[in-house]
Amino acid sequence: MMFPLVRNALSSLRIRSIQQIRARQSHSKHSPDFHDKYGDILLASGTAFCVVVWVFTATQVGIEWNPSPVGRTTPKEWNDE
Amino acid sequence: MPPYTNYHAQRSYPMPDEPFCTELSAEQQALKEKEKGSWTQLSHAEKVALYRLQFHETFTEMNRRSNEWKTVMGCVFFFFGFTGLLIWWQRVYVFPKKPITLMDEWKAQQLQRILDMKGNPVQGLASRWDYERKEWKK
Repeated sequence: MMFPLVRNALSSLRIRSIQQIRARQSHSKHSPDFHDKYGDILLASGTAFCVVVWVFTATQVGIEWNPSPVGRTTPKEWNDE
Repeated sequence: MPPYTNYHAQRSYPMPDEPFCTELSAEQQALKEKEKGSWTQLSHAEKVALYRLQFHETFTEMNRRSNEWKTVMGCVFFFFGFTGLLIWWQRVYVFPKKPITLMDEWKAQQLQRILDMKGNPVQGLASRWDYERKEWKK
């Protein structure tokens, strides 16, 4: 008894979504808003600025991250005294 | 700019208290009079005009996607980058002098001492060191 109801609901969902897709394609943007005009530039410049600043800060500024010595540090004799 | 009204419609509250246009021209008032009669007499264009008088946007227009996320994420990344500049300032003006234990020479000697003591020989640091060849295991 539930099964044909569920099948109808699912099929109507599929039909409605195709209609919505067609409607969305026919509705062209009337006038571009702020985000249409500047969104891409803001996103690209913000990301670039962030990446540049953090790569610089992480590597050039003298912060000691103290990474693992494995594969990086060559041991040195310590009990010479 | 439209005047301040009680018109407020959104997907979760789609039946606003007032119509969108309250100040009607003579032509629009005539259309409202015609609406009081039988609706079969209204042409399609008139029905659309009546809808536009009543509502600001259709559901499709109201629910359209936007590019707002680009502005938002761009500003988020910008402020995250600004935080990086603050960390730089902090490194220059706030951080104390690097302690001797973090100098490269000290760290190399400390490493040799740990390897001599065979610290964590099963899965940890000493297990990664090849004692025969005196180099890190590949």
